[in-house]
Amino acid sequence: MNEEKSGDRKMKCGDESKCFELLESILDGELQDSSKEVLSEKLAKCQPCFEHYHLEQAIRDVLKTKCTKQAVPTELADLIRQQIQDIK
Amino acid sequence: MSEVQRRKYSQEEKNAIFDGEFMPHIDSMYNFGYRLTFDGDDAKDLVQDTYLKAYRFINSFEQGTNAKAWLFRILKNSFINEYRKKSKQPTKVDYQEVETYYNSDDVHYQSTSDLRAESVKDMLGDEISNALNSLAVDFRTVIILCDLEGFTYEEMAKILDIPIGTVRSRLHRARNLLKEKLQGYAQNMGYKTDADEENID
Ligand SMILES: [Zn+2]
Repeated sequence: MNEEKSGDRKMKCGDESKCFELLESILDGELQDSSKEVLSEKLAKCQPCFEHYHLEQAIRDVLKTKCTKQAVPTELADLIRQQIQDIK
Repeated sequence: MSEVQRRKYSQEEKNAIFDGEFMPHIDSMYNFGYRLTFDGDDAKDLVQDTYLKAYRFINSFEQGTNAKAWLFRILKNSFINEYRKKSKQPTKVDYQEVETYYNSDDVHYQSTSDLRAESVKDMLGDEISNALNSLAVDFRTVIILCDLEGFTYEEMAKILDIPIGTVRSRLHRARNLLKEKLQGYAQNMGYKTDADEENID
């Protein structure tokens, strides 16, 4: 996170489409194990990958933590149980 | 094994499954319904309908499997079959929009915005929610399932009755659309984007 300098990273990605698909799958928790090494290497060497990864991560974080939630109407659970009683 | 699974549940078992495995998801179910319909009463109807169906078809639920995914699939189908038919909203538009999007090309993963991670982190809950709500329902749905509810691609494929590859590409497109919306907000609010630095308006 603290690595904001881009000096050691190449500015053009060799295969953006493939890289981004991989990064997004990793962020979605779909690839484990070996992908961790691939990930850190990509982030260290490629600026577009680095930026894409952090943007995609931020999007996921805010969706998860900031989306407004509706409170369930208090009577809903009882209403459902009542209806189930009726068809039992 | 399969014979055990196929047997019918006793009344006690039904009650235990319903209370122990189904009811704890009422919060997520209600919010899913609300995010699909944007209406509290409709969300309530969808959730009630889902739980009644879940009880009626409880014998087809395999105990120990993912109850939340099973319930979400029922709610999604209720929404498509009943709510969408009844509602006056032109439902075909969503599908057409999605269809042309899919048929346009194979997914090419690319960065489609100048949005920065820092600007996204600074955004308000309302902005994030509004951006999500503005997406067509099929795109909105994959983001809800993945990012808000934490389902895996495989679970999403089952809930939505689509192949995993379609889940992946639809998610990618949904997030790109979301980023476009967020970028619009960012520019209006004066958050920094790369574009701002290149040409100051
Ligand atoms: Zn790269």
